[in-house]
Amino acid sequence: MNSIAYILLITFAGAGITFIVHHLIKPLRDIIAITVAASGLYFVIQSLTEKTKIVFGIADFNIIWGNTPYSNLFAVLIAVLGFLTILYARDFMAEKERLGYFYMNLLFVIGGMYGIVYSQDLISLFFFWEVMTWSSFLLVIYCCKEAQPIGLKYFVFSAIGAYSLLIAIVMIYAQTGNLELSNILQNFGNISEVNQIVIAVLLLTGFGVKSAIMPLHVWAPDSYSISPSPFTALFSGALSKMGIFGIGMVLFKFASHSGYFSYVKIILAWLGGITALLATFYAIFQTDAKKLLAYSSIGQLGYIIIGLAVGTPLSIAAALFLVILHGAFKAMLFMSVGAVYFRTGTTDMNSVTGLIRKMPLSFVTMLFGIITVSGVPPLGGFAAKWMLYESLIQSKHYFLVIVVFAASTAAFLYLYKLIFSLFLGQEEVEWSHVKEVPLLMLIPMLILSAFVLVAGIFPGLVLDPISHAMQYLGNYGFKYETSVLFNEWGNKINMQTVINVIGAVFLIAGLFVTFKGLKKTRYVTTKDIHTSGEIPEENENLTYAVDFYKPFERAIAPALKASIDKIYTAIGNNLEQAFDFLRYVYTGNGQTYAMYVVLFLSLLILFAELIFGIKL
Amino acid sequence: MSPVHFIAIPLFAAFLIPLAGKVSKELVKIIPGLVLLYLSFVSVTLFPIGTHHPVVEIIAGFKPPFGITLYYGAIAAFLTTLITLIGFVIWLYSYKFIIREPIEKYYMLFMMLITGSTGIVLTGDIFNLFVFFEITSIAAYSLTAFLRDRDGAEAAFKYLLIGSFASTFFLLAIAIIYANVHTLNLADIAVKIQDVPVTTRLFVLILFLIGLGIESEMFPLNGWAPDAYSQAPSPVGAVFGGIVVKAAVYSLMRIIFLMFNSHDVLHFLLVMGIITMLIAEMSAMKQQQIKRMLAFSSIGQMGLVIIAFGIGTEPSVRAAMFQMFNHALIKSLLFFSAGYLVFHSGSKKISALDGLGHDKPITSFFFAFGALAIIGLPPFSGFWSKLYILLSIADAGLMVPVVLILISSIIEAVYYLRVVSRLYFYKEEATDVRRTPVSGLIAMGILTVVILLVGFYPNLILNWMTPAAADLLNKASYIKFGLF
Repeated sequence: MNSIAYILLITFAGAGITFIVHHLIKPLRDIIAITVAASGLYFVIQSLTEKTKIVFGIADFNIIWGNTPYSNLFAVLIAVLGFLTILYARDFMAEKERLGYFYMNLLFVIGGMYGIVYSQDLISLFFFWEVMTWSSFLLVIYCCKEAQPIGLKYFVFSAIGAYSLLIAIVMIYAQTGNLELSNILQNFGNISEVNQIVIAVLLLTGFGVKSAIMPLHVWAPDSYSISPSPFTALFSGALSKMGIFGIGMVLFKFASHSGYFSYVKIILAWLGGITALLATFYAIFQTDAKKLLAYSSIGQLGYIIIGLAVGTPLSIAAALFLVILHGAFKAMLFMSVGAVYFRTGTTDMNSVTGLIRKMPLSFVTMLFGIITVSGVPPLGGFAAKWMLYESLIQSKHYFLVIVVFAASTAAFLYLYKLIFSLFLGQEEVEWSHVKEVPLLMLIPMLILSAFVLVAGIFPGLVLDPISHAMQYLGNYGFKYETSVLFNEWGNKINMQTVINVIGAVFLIAGLFVTFKGLKKTRYVTTKDIHTSGEIPEENENLTYAVDFYKPFERAIAPALKASIDKIYTAIGNNLEQAFDFLRYVYTGNGQTYAMYVVLFLSLLILFAELIFGIKL
Repeated sequence: MSPVHFIAIPLFAAFLIPLAGKVSKELVKIIPGLVLLYLSFVSVTLFPIGTHHPVVEIIAGFKPPFGITLYYGAIAAFLTTLITLIGFVIWLYSYKFIIREPIEKYYMLFMMLITGSTGIVLTGDIFNLFVFFEITSIAAYSLTAFLRDRDGAEAAFKYLLIGSFASTFFLLAIAIIYANVHTLNLADIAVKIQDVPVTTRLFVLILFLIGLGIESEMFPLNGWAPDAYSQAPSPVGAVFGGIVVKAAVYSLMRIIFLMFNSHDVLHFLLVMGIITMLIAEMSAMKQQQIKRMLAFSSIGQMGLVIIAFGIGTEPSVRAAMFQMFNHALIKSLLFFSAGYLVFHSGSKKISALDGLGHDKPITSFFFAFGALAIIGLPPFSGFWSKLYILLSIADAGLMVPVVLILISSIIEAVYYLRVVSRLYFYKEEATDVRRTPVSGLIAMGILTVVILLVGFYPNLILNWMTPAAADLLNKASYIKFGLF
């Protein structure tokens, strides 16, 4: 037995055990779930140093599990986020029902993701992909009746994605007669060029659904926002990365043979750009914090896809760096919004306000999160964004630079809205009872905050495994040092200097604020204001978040009116109506059925020549 | 032990049951169980023998091609095992489910049905095949109307009406064959039919396609099925989906591969399979009654099986058999759990199922489990058979059926998951009281375990499927062993 076998065995068996224990000895359940996730993490770290391979046969296929530097990168992400979410869930979910169901499916999702990254053959890849899909579906519909249509939409899109993967797999099997990854990679070039492109596009579609590229993103906002917060952190942080994992494999391992492939890459890069830009705009209008983060998550994945699709060493490095960082900061953001929800019972930005003094650590987590998202030094986001810009300019994708720049700038708007409306602004009497969340929820948030800080100062620590992964993807090398970033034309940025400058700025600002704060401060609520002769009504909503970006919304709204979601809904509804009509083929009348039989007989006799090639 | 037991013992039991009813009601219930248990034992014992080398049993001493023979080859071994094991599970379920009188008639008809189905699978004689078909059909008509309500009677009448078309065409086809080749032995016919004029052969083929197509639920001949499935008692729905249709499809394929094995015929089956599947799945989408929905899903699954048979290569036939196995298991599980869900909610409507997941957690769990399994999600057994079907289709160089099968899978997922959602997430409070009897739970539990087991070790079944597929496709060996 080696680490990978342990990881999969423990996670899946642990899922089942957790479910059973929930029904027998409730208090043990959380401990077991945490233990399972922790041992998963332990064995993932173990597996980093070994290069293992497990081969066994199921049905007629060789199932091969093994780790590569590329899969290690993702496995660590899954393990860490999986562990932290389960830690976080302990208190967050404590009051909820059906916890056996929740933990079982959460562990199934984690196990499914492990399986995906460790699969070295397409059968087990698809197997785990489907396991991940249905278990995450069951988590999306966990909460309530309202979640049901949302969950179904998620499942339908996932199924479309999974089945396009399956079609590609089936095609590969028909073409090469083999489903082992190493074999396929060798023989992929022998497939006809058209089929190569078709297979690659099908695979990209399949993986693209999970990473919510436009126009396949419509499931994401609702599903992210309605699923329970601990799972959302994992959903957006790790599960969506499985799509990225696959896209990376397809782009660099499969499809490097065909010349036409550059067009696919360009289209993909632009889809990524559009995703980044539009999702950011949508995010700005959201009034629900989780939905805002959901759109933000879609947009961030757009950057990653750009990075992968552009395909220069630096851009791939940037994309993989963003994968790790996005996993961390999106989990942080969802966790801190979850913390707000935990204490206030809502994530509506129009009603929650001024929590900074009550939940300082959640505030710090969110602050770190948004600084990372926006790519401002000194946190990790800066290095990632810098690399992305640099690679785009260097590879002459000037329009994409503009798109990315516009999206990043617009991102400031929603990020500011998020932190301002929840934590800053005036305090409301309604939330005076709120206090900081329990320690077990804080620990994951603080660990991740520390991580993004470290990743910002010493990006090389993260770039090190990334460069190994890139070696695996195809000999892409790029220059980096622990805390120094290089570009092609020899300039370099020393993060130490950056951190010093930023530190100094913060120190001065901090001193300034403190001195200013020494004066007597009066905290006011929203209603405690002086207006020109008007007294606010008792039930008037005066939190700052209301109509936060009204003029901007007005300016940009027409452009966003045409929604793909509506088109999909219309297609779905029309199909259902057509099906409803069709079922009256079965009239329920025996005479009609008898008539069908006779008609069918006559048709067969009449068209015998056409059907069977013989004239009757 | 010999394959004759499969026919003789349930037939004997069927006649014994009314007599036993005079003695004790319990005895009536127990006899079929014992019979099926014994038959399962026989089938498991004979299985390796039949798979290894076909056993041909001569009835009453007349040598083929004059007498009636039983041909117990790999595929017959597989199907009799499937029928007896599923039959046993259905009996287990019926034990507490069928509480309405006349109980002895139910079990008598059930035994007749088992006799007929195993007979269809075993017989090497085409007229004998017809007789077993009639036994099965008549038992099936009566079981459809078992509840003796208005809907049941109506459904049974429709079934009877369409079923009589099937019998007529089937008999006509046999008559034409006999008039031309002067033999009723299947192997002998297979040899001699080559000399029959091509137009006659074609006409016979069309008659077979319709006669057996009706029983195999091929579109547009399957109008009887939704009513019969949904109005019959739930275990009978499982009997139809798990046993009767399987036997019918087997006989259709056996006849086609023996007598009419041509590219055009297979192609026709492929197209009909696709149409059957698509129309059935689409119709299932908006059904308001759960058992009707299951009926359409069952038709759709048979469409899938017919597609795989229509490809006609060895891997695809193997995949089709595997799918038949899985469908028998999973659809039985669904009918079982739906039976108690309907019973507990007191209504056949899907909308009445809201919140039953809280009242009846175990039964609902079984339904949800079955739903995930039948969509073809891993790690359940349905995943492998669907995968094999897709791979075999692609291997034959076709992509359109692959896409259509996957589209219909999505439709399937939508309507099944909607029901699952209703069970668990539409209403929160638990209200009720009545419990699902233990025997029913055991029956469902057995199926669940097997579905999972096969999901993790598909080789458990798959290894037996290869000789079965070879048996069905290898006409020469059938003729060789069938005629000695």
